[in-house]
Amino acid sequence: MSEIRTQALDEVRPGMELAEPVLDAGGQVLLPAGIALTEHHLDSLRRRGIDTLSIAQAAEPVDAAEIARQRERIRARVMHIFRHTADDPGSQALLHAVLAFRLERLK
Amino acid sequence: MSTQPTLADMLQRIQRLPALPAVALDLLNTLAGSEPDVISLARRIAQDQAIAARVLRVANSPFYGLQKRVGSVHDAVVVLGFSAVRSLVLAAAVVTGLPSGQCTGFEPDRFWRHVMGTAVAAQALARRLGRDAEAIFVAGLLHDIGRLAMVAIYPELFSRAVAVARERDCSLQEVELEIFGFDHAAVGAALARRWNFPEETIDALACHHQPAHGAPGGLAALIHYADAISKSLDFEEAEDTLMPILDAESVDALGLDWQALIEVLAETQARFDSYRLMLG
Repeated sequence: MSEIRTQALDEVRPGMELAEPVLDAGGQVLLPAGIALTEHHLDSLRRRGIDTLSIAQAAEPVDAAEIARQRERIRARVMHIFRHTADDPGSQALLHAVLAFRLERLK
Repeated sequence: MSTQPTLADMLQRIQRLPALPAVALDLLNTLAGSEPDVISLARRIAQDQAIAARVLRVANSPFYGLQKRVGSVHDAVVVLGFSAVRSLVLAAAVVTGLPSGQCTGFEPDRFWRHVMGTAVAAQALARRLGRDAEAIFVAGLLHDIGRLAMVAIYPELFSRAVAVARERDCSLQEVELEIFGFDHAAVGAALARRWNFPEETIDALACHHQPAHGAPGGLAALIHYADAISKSLDFEEAEDTLMPILDAESVDALGLDWQALIEVLAETQARFDSYRLMLG
């Protein structure tokens, strides 16, 4: 899994992966997507006046324990809002739907 | 209690409060069916900078997904349509035009987040149930308006009510009845009557805590549920948000199934995220 980020050329380091091709004004591909950038590439892009690049970045690793903690926080918060009414017949549908909806939004 | 005011006392003193902005009243009339002169309304809205700026902030939010920013109320009407802009203007007019008053324990931003959340939830419910989403938006926006009047006219009593409700961890409406002898629903309905609102809106304001007392099949049950949805999605961002007691029969009578309810929650959340930009 990776995500695409626009980054200033000055912050791009050799070895980073280009996410989208770099084109010149005529639409010619200067550098294809997917290559690992070298110092040489960066120098030549700088000379052409290019100042940002799309960089592919590995997404933050999903931390299962952190997600479990967040789910627990949401559950506790919803139960707190329904603290006097969690067993009321009128609240049942909303309580369960809100729990499902707010937990789903975590993803 | 000798210090207890009567609803009649209170209504007499409300005379001195600022009313809804004229442009909001004109827009409300277009809800009742009078043919809107969209161009002249847009021009009048644009003259009120405070309202226009808030409307454009929301119109340009990601929710509406516009390719190009809209720069004027007139353009917003062209791109989004009159009825969408009317809802935005009404919300902005109510937020900027009504005095939010001050008293210890009353948090205006929390109040506005809650009523905006209720308005968009009511609209989402109305769409699923084939009801008039516009009239109900206004009822949602104004459902707690009685509280603003209570804060403005009886700040000490209202502060005490807030403190007692917090201390007992119970609903503020319950404590209002104890301390004032009437609640914000009664005050709001009286105000709506003075503003010549349609009978169904007055009924919705009066009965949103007891929908079984409202007109059968009326708006009160929708506002009752929308109020709860707004609380459940934490729009108040307050530690002590408390779910009101829901009237099971009125809720059942709405006939929302699970899927529809989930859709209502999703739409309410998305619209609220854009409407809240109005509050700056």
